[in-house]
Amino acid sequence: MAEKKKMSVAEILAAARAKSDGGAAAPSASEPQASPERQAVARVEESSHVEAEARPKAKPAAKPAAATAAGGARLSVADILAAARAKKAEGGDGAVVEAAAKPKPAAADKPKPAAAAKPKPAAAASAPKTGVQRDTGSILAAARGGAKPGPVSKAEAPDVTAKLQAAAAKPKAAPVEKGAVARAAPPMPARPAKPAAKKDGEEDRRGFLEIAMGSFMAMGFTALSVTGGLFTLGLARFMFPNVLAEPPSRFKVGFREGFPAGKVETKFVPQYGVWVVNADFQGQQQIYALKTVCTHLGCTPNWLEAEQKFKCPCHGSGFYKDGINFEGPAPRPLERYAIRISDDGQLEIDKSKAFQEELGQWADPDSYVTV
Amino acid sequence: MHSNGFFLKDVAGFLGGYYAFIAIMNGVASLILWRRKNQLGWAFVWAAVAGVMLILASLALSGSATLVPSLPLAARKLVNALSGPVLYTLGTTALLTVLFVFRKFFVKPMVAWTVLNALLILMGLSMADENFASIVMKPDNVPIVGLVFMLAFFTWVATSQAVVNDERIKQGLPPMEKLNDEKVLVWPDLVYTELICMVAVSAFLLVWALVLQAPLEEPASSVKTPNPSKAPWYFLGLQEMLVYFDPWYAGVVLPSMVVFGLMAMPYLDFNKKGNGYYSIEERKFSYLVYQFGFFELWITLIILGTFLRGPNWNFFGPFEYWTPYKVEVLNNVDLPQFFWVNLLDRPLPRAPQGAGTLVQVGTILLRESPGLILLGAYLVLLPPLLAVTVFRQFFAKMGFVRYMIMANLMLLMLSLPLKMILRWTLNLKYIVSIPEFSLNF
Repeated sequence: MAEKKKMSVAEILAAARAKSDGGAAAPSASEPQASPERQAVARVEESSHVEAEARPKAKPAAKPAAATAAGGARLSVADILAAARAKKAEGGDGAVVEAAAKPKPAAADKPKPAAAAKPKPAAAASAPKTGVQRDTGSILAAARGGAKPGPVSKAEAPDVTAKLQAAAAKPKAAPVEKGAVARAAPPMPARPAKPAAKKDGEEDRRGFLEIAMGSFMAMGFTALSVTGGLFTLGLARFMFPNVLAEPPSRFKVGFREGFPAGKVETKFVPQYGVWVVNADFQGQQQIYALKTVCTHLGCTPNWLEAEQKFKCPCHGSGFYKDGINFEGPAPRPLERYAIRISDDGQLEIDKSKAFQEELGQWADPDSYVTV
Repeated sequence: MHSNGFFLKDVAGFLGGYYAFIAIMNGVASLILWRRKNQLGWAFVWAAVAGVMLILASLALSGSATLVPSLPLAARKLVNALSGPVLYTLGTTALLTVLFVFRKFFVKPMVAWTVLNALLILMGLSMADENFASIVMKPDNVPIVGLVFMLAFFTWVATSQAVVNDERIKQGLPPMEKLNDEKVLVWPDLVYTELICMVAVSAFLLVWALVLQAPLEEPASSVKTPNPSKAPWYFLGLQEMLVYFDPWYAGVVLPSMVVFGLMAMPYLDFNKKGNGYYSIEERKFSYLVYQFGFFELWITLIILGTFLRGPNWNFFGPFEYWTPYKVEVLNNVDLPQFFWVNLLDRPLPRAPQGAGTLVQVGTILLRESPGLILLGAYLVLLPPLLAVTVFRQFFAKMGFVRYMIMANLMLLMLSLPLKMILRWTLNLKYIVSIPEFSLNF
């Protein structure tokens, strides 16, 4: 069925109340009678509970009293539970009748006792008499009668309410009628006959539909793939913008004289992300451009003049002036950018080319300028 | 930078309220104990503590900077001099071990209350130190202070119930949770509780947002990394892990293994006891492994990363000024360097210039062979070895697949403290170091 949602206790009680208040003639919203399947289920349940009626019948004194107690007016959850508990505690059927009857003495005068029969106390009567006060869960389970324990789904709700109603509404309903209803369950609709096998070359309406649908599908998918392809191409176009706002990868940083030996020039860091260093590397005085990206996780290290090292603020990696890693987690030296002396004698750095020490690329003459 | 009058005047108002709060807290505790009439001695103790706190509060609010109670300078200097990553880690491990071994003592309400008071007073005294206060009262860090106290509280709640249950189980009684198993309804009991919590937390967050200003900084710049550069507080454990490992391992493999391991836990657990109630004795292995991973490898690392890591990711004592010019010697070398250069006294194997790819890969493998052998032994040989020795019963109960998953998860978890110890003792950077392919372990 459509709604398999679990019903809360409150909903079950509301459904039961609505049934008993309105009677069979006025179906409540929580139990749509329009659904034929449900009605069938309810009917089957009713019939199966015809024999269950014998039990309440054994206590004829209790039945009408319970019915009148609830007559017309609603019992609150608290009342129902209190009644059930009182019954448990005293272990007698008379007690539950009393307890249930007491709160509503006026209700006893009302003329329509059976139509609004309250199912709960009656059903509770069939619960085992332990004489021990139990928790809410088991009392509710007992009140639900022999139904399966635990929460009740909406799909099962008609069964439960029908069962309870059948147990409680016994004095009014004529057993003969009930049996008749149970027996009169509508037969299953006959299975439609299979269409005759198609003859070769014969076109019928269904065949036309198949052909039409096939072509529509083909058209649809073709359109979809074409659109998708164009969209992908459009996305790819973003990779080649008309205007590049980033600084050029080739730039001049000045003459060699501006970079005295042993100095790390940090003024190009904000704009170009490069340190220009004039230092001794493996016995040769070189000017080289170091990339300001830590080889551990990509933070920008700081040049510490006092300690003569690059130190990363993220995980503490340290690099010597020549870019070699010596402390912290950085696994490899800083990278160099290509550097050369341009035609006008200025140093020109090309960021499009990087040189990695661990691959032996620092030996490449493009990676430094001798002083 | 030492404490000065201006700062103390700023913090004095807060400290006055803080001590008054502790006084009220102890006063209420004393009143409750007095009403119960069975622990009158303790009632007097807490009343006395409340009185002392009131005196401290009035000293803090006196308006004189010199009267604000604070730790003696010598004590602060001693703490600074002693603290370092090694002592911090060993110290927290020892502390947690003591708390675990003597848990029956520490979960007693009066003992726990004493510890809480001691912590709060120690924090109040430390707060008068400018360097300590500037870190702890940073809006970013306030939640972590709260986290420390809340974590201690919840651990205490769970441990005290576990201790009671263990005692009952020893006597053959059912655990406390079995005594009171009255079921309550989700609606309205739980939903109403949640609603009330929601309202209370919203109100709290509103007040927080009004009182603590957002830590706004200068506009972001891709070339300017703040110093120190910290992850959000809940990732500071990860950031601390990254100090010891390559990013792919500490940033990808280990966190994935944490998530995977947490998901695998119910399937690896074959101990049917301890279901639905707190117990330590019945689940000692699970309890210890989990608490080690959570407290030692996650919480203490978050605290370390938040409060004790300063500029350049150097370690700073709790009362130390965070100067970016602190010099720490942290030189480290890879295992091949140790093996080939230091041990065999020969240069690292290097492929000749212009060698083919195969030769190069072969040279790299030769160079890294000591590390690779160690790593292989650790991850491949150790699990079966453990299966026939320490974990013999585990292996029998879990079967091959489950046992291997558990053993490997545990070994991966232990790789973090092992690597930390190796870094501290031997200055070892990487066991396997193949920067050519960005593969380092």
